Amino acid sequence: MEKIKDFFKTFLLIELLKGMALTGRYMFARKITVQFPEEKTPQGFRFRGLHAQRRYENGEERCIGCKLCEAVCPALAIKIEVAEREDGTRRTTQYDIDLTKCIFCGFCEESCPVDAIVETRIFEYHGEKRGDLYYTKPMLLAVGDKYEAQIARDRAADSKYR
Amino acid sequence: MINIEIDGKLVETERGTTVMDAAHKAGVYIPHFCYHKKLSIAASCRMCLVEVEKAPKPLPACATPAAEGMKVHTHSEMAVKAQQGVMEFLLINHPLDCPICDQGGECMLQDVAMGYGGGASRYTEEKRVVSPKQIGELISTNEMSRCIQCTRCVRFGQEIAGVMELGMANRSEHAQIMSFVNSSVDSELSGNMIDLCPVGALTSRPFRYTARSWELSRRKSVSPHDGLGSNLAIHVKDNKVLRVVPVENEAVNECWISDKDRFSYEGLNSPERLTRPMIKQGGQWVEVEWAAALEYVANGLRQITRSAGAEHIAALATPHSTVEELYLLQKLMRGLGSGNVDYRLRQSDFSADGKQAGASWLGMPVAEINQCDRFLVVGSFLRKDQPLLAQRIRQAVKKGAEANIVHAADDDLLMPIANKAIVAPGEMVNTLTQVLEALRALKSSGETDNAAATSIAQSLAGGERVAILLGNFAQQHPAAAQIAVLCEQIAVLCRAKFGYLGEAANSVGGYLAGAVPFTGDVQGMNAQQMLDKPRKAYLLLNVEPELDMYNPQQAMRAMSAADMVVCLSAFKHKGMDYADVMLPIAPFTETSGTFVNTEGRAQSFKGAVKPLGDARPAWKVLRVLGNLLEVAGFDYDSSEAVRDEALGAAPVADRLNNHIEGVAIAAAAASSGLQRVSDVPIYSADAIVRRAASLQKTRDAAQPVVMASAAELQKLGVQSGDVVKVTQNGASVQLTAQLSERLPEGVVRIAAGHPATAALGAMFGTITVERA
Repeated sequence: MEKIKDFFKTFLLIELLKGMALTGRYMFARKITVQFPEEKTPQGFRFRGLHAQRRYENGEERCIGCKLCEAVCPALAIKIEVAEREDGTRRTTQYDIDLTKCIFCGFCEESCPVDAIVETRIFEYHGEKRGDLYYTKPMLLAVGDKYEAQIARDRAADSKYR
Repeated sequence: MINIEIDGKLVETERGTTVMDAAHKAGVYIPHFCYHKKLSIAASCRMCLVEVEKAPKPLPACATPAAEGMKVHTHSEMAVKAQQGVMEFLLINHPLDCPICDQGGECMLQDVAMGYGGGASRYTEEKRVVSPKQIGELISTNEMSRCIQCTRCVRFGQEIAGVMELGMANRSEHAQIMSFVNSSVDSELSGNMIDLCPVGALTSRPFRYTARSWELSRRKSVSPHDGLGSNLAIHVKDNKVLRVVPVENEAVNECWISDKDRFSYEGLNSPERLTRPMIKQGGQWVEVEWAAALEYVANGLRQITRSAGAEHIAALATPHSTVEELYLLQKLMRGLGSGNVDYRLRQSDFSADGKQAGASWLGMPVAEINQCDRFLVVGSFLRKDQPLLAQRIRQAVKKGAEANIVHAADDDLLMPIANKAIVAPGEMVNTLTQVLEALRALKSSGETDNAAATSIAQSLAGGERVAILLGNFAQQHPAAAQIAVLCEQIAVLCRAKFGYLGEAANSVGGYLAGAVPFTGDVQGMNAQQMLDKPRKAYLLLNVEPELDMYNPQQAMRAMSAADMVVCLSAFKHKGMDYADVMLPIAPFTETSGTFVNTEGRAQSFKGAVKPLGDARPAWKVLRVLGNLLEVAGFDYDSSEAVRDEALGAAPVADRLNNHIEGVAIAAAAASSGLQRVSDVPIYSADAIVRRAASLQKTRDAAQPVVMASAAELQKLGVQSGDVVKVTQNGASVQLTAQLSERLPEGVVRIAAGHPATAALGAMFGTITVERA
């Protein structure tokens, strides 16, 4: 019986017609293609993109140099040096994230006790050579300063699930 | 022995011990904060509450004596509930600043909170705030709000350090740990409070915020400073030593280390470190390659050997050098045909050379000090020279031992002293002779006229386990051999152990390595003779002649006159004025080596970090130098091979012997004029500690002064605080005069080993003081 079925299939092009039917269905279905970069896909507030360092409203950097993110980072992408600032507080003198190493797991923001290091929704950044993706503390703070409003909104949205 | 049951485990424990001790024996962990095995019981934290059957309430394990048939549950519902309750109360006022706390990651409170703390606090009121304190340069007390009032630091001060410098003021919520008004914590053991503090209230000031505990690699090492050879853990990050903590060794340092061992690491990272070999060319220092520098040294030594003879080459090394370094140095010298090698730089009396049966050592194991019931400590700035041995004597005294002192300065040893004879240095031999006579008189029930000597003799005669110990001062004394012979005779009379408190990490090892002129196949000059008859070339291993020698003035003269001075040093130092070659060698953290401590315990260690810059381990430098000079037997593959050859197959103990034969006792003639008494201040004793920035800011590192008794100051016509001119051997310096009621008449005390007094002459001798 199977053999007879297969025999007819070989010249009646049933598979082809099935495929064409699927193509036809999508031809008339609603389009979901997004015209990037003019158009963008929707993002969740937990999106893990480019890192940023945040500040408090008074302009003071949040990071206290506890090095938990450095310790938890599975890709060893974070490098921190800490010293006592003149006012006696514990601050970083160096805070680098090597984005070529980073795997965007989000452990750093998860471990941060003061919400200083966060991952933003930004994903379309680039560098022309490897070194361009080695983000230092001023670069991370600049990202934070620029997108603080969005970052704060996202943290607020997420807070009720924590 | 009594039997008790802890969590179903039967343990046998001694009567009088506590449930906590029994639990330790059974391997059961009971959470605790205020309990510490070396301190008295406070039972103030209540964390160790356990359930004891038939007791209505939970009991603190640390303060409950174990009783026969007791049944203890450490994890029953009642116990755990009590422990959780205590934890909640402890956390009420504890700030939530673990992320910026230096204790974070190695904190007892953090660890115990993980096991017994709640996930969230029910406490919503304001937390207690304690104002920061300033108690010195070594201990940071900026966050006293973290304190949980366990009082370990207070008990440490009272019981171990011997002086209560921290105390708990006020009550209940207002209770806080503080020092006395306007005073700092100056104990030479103060750093141990940092280790003892179970939270982050007392932390290390030099280490503050430099690393988190999980970033550090821990490597074992041995202290290169005093003669005890404390076991250390060197904490390293990125090839840099960031802190030093003790490794527990009950036979040596127990669980303590002195501040010198703990904070000297700052010297290792000092900007004065020598990192490239340098040669002086036309008065200018030029950095060169190792090959060129070593070739230069080899050529220079060859030339001097050819023109003047090998006996015109001299080698001096500090007793802080390792066995391997000292062994290769003497082997190199003897290979060249010169026996002029010595490491006893601050010694002045060499008359026992060749007459002593072996190496000078403690005469007993270190741990036995605690068991002694009578001490005679002769010529020792005990607390500053051997802080932890002083601590052991203090523990023995606390148990009822009597300490007797014969010394030239009556420093506060922070323990009750039974009898003391504080005499001028010139009188020490006479005083000891009187003690000896008094002892003999006691045996034949006669009398002597010196009351102090008699009471010391009586005290010694009344003991069963007597120790007679010679300190650094006695070893540096111009009549050191006579003092030793007298002490040995005293020891024989009262069946005592007689020994030396080793001055430096390798005071015993240097002898075993043969770095003395009177052993081996080629004999030569000792440290004093090398300066008395200046040599043409000097090889200096770790030595800074103006600070490390008995007579800095003479040393400087000899060095300046020499044709060639080769400094093997880890640091740039004043020797660069007269040296011709500076070879950068590795300090103890960067080389492997062995120190033989004062009880004859050979302790080897490995390098904790890589040598800085182009510095190299000194044993390798000496090996290459030996090869260049074609001295036989310099083909070593490892420092272990050098050590095995240096120490030989026979046990070290066989070569330790304090017995001196053939040194006659001559009654000292009354000395005329003012006598100098010199101590080497605790933080000036060796090259590393001299560069430890934080230690140099402490009170023990204050600028040297001229100390004299009130009568002496009056005779000189100066007041305490005046600037005076001190002249010794034609050189003079200006120092401040200071009244000290702890000195006998006829002496002034001026520190040695310090740049401010380096121009002066010998550590002992006549000195003149006049108004500036």
